[in-house]
Amino acid sequence: MSAENRVIVVGGGLAGLAAAVRVAEAGLPVDLFSLVPVKRSHSVCAQGGINACNEVARQQGYSEYQHFDETIYGGDYLADQHPVLEMANWAPKVIDLLDRMGVPFNRTSEGNRDLRLFGGSLFKRTHFAGATTGQQLLYALDEQTRRYEAEGLVKKYEFWEFLWPVTEGEGEGRRCVGIVAQDMRTMQIRPFRADAVVMATGGCGLVFGKSTNSIICNGGAAARCYQAGAWYANPEMIQVHPTAIPGADKCRLMSESARGEGGRVWVPRKKGDRRKADQIPEDERWYFLEEKYPGYGNLVPRDIATREIFDICVNQHMGVDGENQVYLDLTHKDPDYLTRKLGGIMEIYEKFVGDDPRKVPMKIFPAVHYSMGGLWTTFTPGSYTPETPVGEHKPGMVPPVDAQPGHGLAIGAPNNSMTNIDGLYAFGEVNFAYHGATRLGANALLSCIFDGLFCGVSVVNFVKGDRVREAPAESLPSQVFDRFVEQEEAKVKKLLDSVQMRGEIAPEHNGYTIANELGVEMNAACTVVKTEGRLKKCIEKVRELRERYSKVVMSDSAAWSNQSLSFVRATGDMLVIAELIAKASLEREESRGSHYRLDFPERDDDRFLKTLVGEYDPASDEHKISFREIDTSLVKPRPRTYGRVDAKPQDKKEAVAQS
Amino acid sequence: MVADNTPSADNAQETSTPEGSGRARKVRFRIKRCEGPGKPVYWQTFAVQTEPGANIISCLQKIAEHPVTVEGERTTPVTWDSGCLEEVCGACTMVINGRVRQSCSALIDRIAPNDGDEVVLEPMSKFPVIRDLWVDRQRMFEALKKIDAWVPIDGTYSLGAGPKESPETQATRYVLSTCMSCGCCLEACPQYLKEEDPAKWDSSFIGAAALSQARLFNLHETGKQGRKDRLDALMGPGGVSECGNAQNCVKVCPKHIPLTESIAAIGRAVTVHSIAKWFTGK
Amino acid sequence: MSEAKSSDKGSGQSFLARHHFLFRRLHSLTGIVPIGVFLIAHLTTNSSILWGKFAGHAPEGSSVLQGGAHYFQEEVHWIHNGIPHLLLIEITLWVSIAFHAGLGFIYAKTGRSNATRYAYQDNWRYTLQRWSGYIGIIFIFYHVATLRWGWTFLIPGGTKWDHNFASSTLAAALQGSYDGFTMGGLLVSALYFIGVTLLVFHFANGLWTAAISWGITVSEQAQKRWGAVCLVLGAGLMVAGWSSIVGFLLLDPAEAEEVERMLLKERGTESAVIVPDAPARIETAGSVEQP
Repeated sequence: MSAENRVIVVGGGLAGLAAAVRVAEAGLPVDLFSLVPVKRSHSVCAQGGINACNEVARQQGYSEYQHFDETIYGGDYLADQHPVLEMANWAPKVIDLLDRMGVPFNRTSEGNRDLRLFGGSLFKRTHFAGATTGQQLLYALDEQTRRYEAEGLVKKYEFWEFLWPVTEGEGEGRRCVGIVAQDMRTMQIRPFRADAVVMATGGCGLVFGKSTNSIICNGGAAARCYQAGAWYANPEMIQVHPTAIPGADKCRLMSESARGEGGRVWVPRKKGDRRKADQIPEDERWYFLEEKYPGYGNLVPRDIATREIFDICVNQHMGVDGENQVYLDLTHKDPDYLTRKLGGIMEIYEKFVGDDPRKVPMKIFPAVHYSMGGLWTTFTPGSYTPETPVGEHKPGMVPPVDAQPGHGLAIGAPNNSMTNIDGLYAFGEVNFAYHGATRLGANALLSCIFDGLFCGVSVVNFVKGDRVREAPAESLPSQVFDRFVEQEEAKVKKLLDSVQMRGEIAPEHNGYTIANELGVEMNAACTVVKTEGRLKKCIEKVRELRERYSKVVMSDSAAWSNQSLSFVRATGDMLVIAELIAKASLEREESRGSHYRLDFPERDDDRFLKTLVGEYDPASDEHKISFREIDTSLVKPRPRTYGRVDAKPQDKKEAVAQS
Repeated sequence: MVADNTPSADNAQETSTPEGSGRARKVRFRIKRCEGPGKPVYWQTFAVQTEPGANIISCLQKIAEHPVTVEGERTTPVTWDSGCLEEVCGACTMVINGRVRQSCSALIDRIAPNDGDEVVLEPMSKFPVIRDLWVDRQRMFEALKKIDAWVPIDGTYSLGAGPKESPETQATRYVLSTCMSCGCCLEACPQYLKEEDPAKWDSSFIGAAALSQARLFNLHETGKQGRKDRLDALMGPGGVSECGNAQNCVKVCPKHIPLTESIAAIGRAVTVHSIAKWFTGK
Repeated sequence: MSEAKSSDKGSGQSFLARHHFLFRRLHSLTGIVPIGVFLIAHLTTNSSILWGKFAGHAPEGSSVLQGGAHYFQEEVHWIHNGIPHLLLIEITLWVSIAFHAGLGFIYAKTGRSNATRYAYQDNWRYTLQRWSGYIGIIFIFYHVATLRWGWTFLIPGGTKWDHNFASSTLAAALQGSYDGFTMGGLLVSALYFIGVTLLVFHFANGLWTAAISWGITVSEQAQKRWGAVCLVLGAGLMVAGWSSIVGFLLLDPAEAEEVERMLLKERGTESAVIVPDAPARIETAGSVEQP
């Protein structure tokens, strides 16, 4: 490792900060890029908590292995099993670390970390800090990053936009040696050299218009890597969160923890019942989730809850007040308890809706929330290689493998969480590997931090490796970088040349209008229920939008802090990812996890127990979609019913009551 | 942003707006604009058709899509800072009708309930304007460096659990830890003044947010290790004594952080610390 | 920038900056001790013009004000003759006031009031604390210059205070003459009313904020409770201050002078004090009757 070695981290959320801290800790200087001051990253919105096996659950028969099994089962077997096993094994250590960093986890009277129930598990295994856990974890990592910043090992580039990865070489030997980025204030575009680049840029909720995501989650950075040759896996796997409050600018999340703390979802049994919630007697309320899933009840995984709510509202027209909304009821709980455990979301509901959810049931509806898919990454498996895949793991059973690290992944292997481009990593939500077809609640924070910490070591080892030693980024000729700077400058020029300062901009060519139309279309076609016909229409629509986008007209020519430029540029990238999402949705002719095809309602393991990988061909501007085998050598796929009462008896997973 | 469509099996996600909010109507936005540092300040007014449930953000989004003033003049989209839109990231703070707050939680039905009402938007006045409503709050983050706002852990490798903590201490720390560095407390503080020169940040009043953070870390079992350094930093120019006890900070804090208690707690800590230091030299 | 960096914590900083904390706390402390304590004593003594009859040894048959004048004169006499090291005390007081006021000006310059925009009660008090400081120090200067140093040209009637004729000369100074109110006297009285009010506010509010600054009252409830204490104290001092002014405005200087003269005679027989013939007042033709 020469003195000039540097690592770039793009994105300052949990994954990016965890990576920055881990890499800096190893003595490698980090350049940290973020669209916003990192403390304002989207991780701040995560509410419910972070999962990890703990002593209490362990003594009830839970284990790291069960956490792993739940995650794989929840993700409908589409996740990469090895990284998930390693993540579950590390989870308790991650919690301990966060605890040491000062995260104010809720406490029991004895001073231990309190736990709550979360979707997809029958055990309390979710650690939380009020209902703003993501915020608290982000702040803890932000603080540690600041510590390294003060020491000079981390240099922050906040309000800088990632534009393109700089690569050298072709094909297999292609390597990422830096990035091109733009200062969103001065509009300066310049290259940055690095021996490894970590993308930790989150999801692409904005592609769907109104989602629970922050305004910055447009997926632009991932889309740029994709267009630069990085593979994008399982783009069709978009999580729609069952409980959000619709708004004019976005949908605001009402955490799953509301149900974890006892919240019940219901609608009046009588269609068109206009009585107020508190006037509807208990036996005239339809707790449809509890009825259908007696074991998990309101805590079935998100895709299931979402489809049930959607079915109630859209197909059965049973929504509250005839609208697309159902009750999420916490009024039976003690108000002080709610304030203590769920204060953050109580306040959001009060501020944005005006009702006190301690007194009046909340009215909620599903909204786009998380991208399970993302940049494709690889890994080196660890030591655990069962002779045959293990079947269902039930509570109390002896786990087939203990929780020692290194079983799932080889610790420090340079390719862990690395994309198909050498030296280009994808951590956190932008990494496709951990959540398969549905993410379990409170697993996202874990996967982000795990990626940053565990795979941060891989980044360090890659930089220490032969390839970098032979040709550190610092030693490369400037032409390698200039080419990409010119490419980005040309894009900017084209956009700025389109500026028209007179008359009305035709809606066809208004970037904002295009983005809005894209959101509406994607939301309608590529979320809860998908059909071939609708998807084809959607692909056509996106094509049309892309066509219109090619003649986009901007309304601001400023050479200083030109936000429109940034937005319109990202819209172009959103269109690319949107097209890929729609095409992938069409290709996957089955229903799995969050991906539900009305025309293919069953899971089809023979054809589709595979990772869908999109590869972009710049020459033809086409998406090449292929399927890659998933290594299911650890857990044998089984039907995913969550003990639904009308499931075939042999498919039913017994919901084991907890003592 | 978009009109709501009728739900159908295909239209998975068109959502209805919450009931009880007002009708669609026009609201005027008078916005203080500036194209960049050193550029003249000017005002523009826009009329926006608002929908039920609209907030400042959704209206600014509409202005960005159709940047035409009430005089019919085409202009540039208004620049502003925003992030989460649910009041946890702190980005979209601005001065709305003379008062600092987050624009995401400023619902039009509440701040401008009648047709034709005017909403005045200004950038925060205590931070340098980057453009229009977007300001540079870097000084807030520098302040966090000054007070070593972190727990000095021995690195991120697995070294067991952190210290146990009573639910009371957790509750105290949690509230302090919800500070999102939005800057409301500083904007409203008569002792916190705009300072464009970063070299002078260190000796200018640090403000309530950072003082409260110092208390947060002093309360943590491990964080205590940095206590003396934090207090030393807060005893000098720009430190806690510059507080004038106007107590605006606590009233404008969107997260209801007991900032004045934090200031007093730091006041007590520096009192004790200074006396101890005088007698023991430590 | 580099210049500022190098002077960060070194000798390059101003004396004030190097001892920032000490000066801030001394500023706060001097406001309470000795200035605040003196204010309490001063206003309590002065207000005795209204209640002195009931506490003192005024001769039988005295009116309330006569009794007050009697008591007040005894108090003043005791202060001038009974308190040891009076000069030292006075110097300490003057230095403290100068220090408190000087630093106060510097500190007040570091803020910019915004009470019209954020019109909270606390914020108004913040603003008023500064204005009461500015006006208060001018008032104190006026008060001392006229009554103590005898800068009679600042008083419309030109009356000078004399500690042997404490009540009568003070009443005359407030009223503008020995024969009752003049316009100038009303002006002086109004100034006293404003000055005393502001200074009492300044002290009571300062006492409240000092408890926060020193970290005595940390919780919001404690701050509220201490606020109530300061309010009561402030109200009490306000009553004392206002009643002093009212008392001396109602007092007939001539009547008071009789009481004082009597006291002087009594004392003159007991001690070696030289009894002056008349209060050290500037004669204004025909306005004063010589006894």
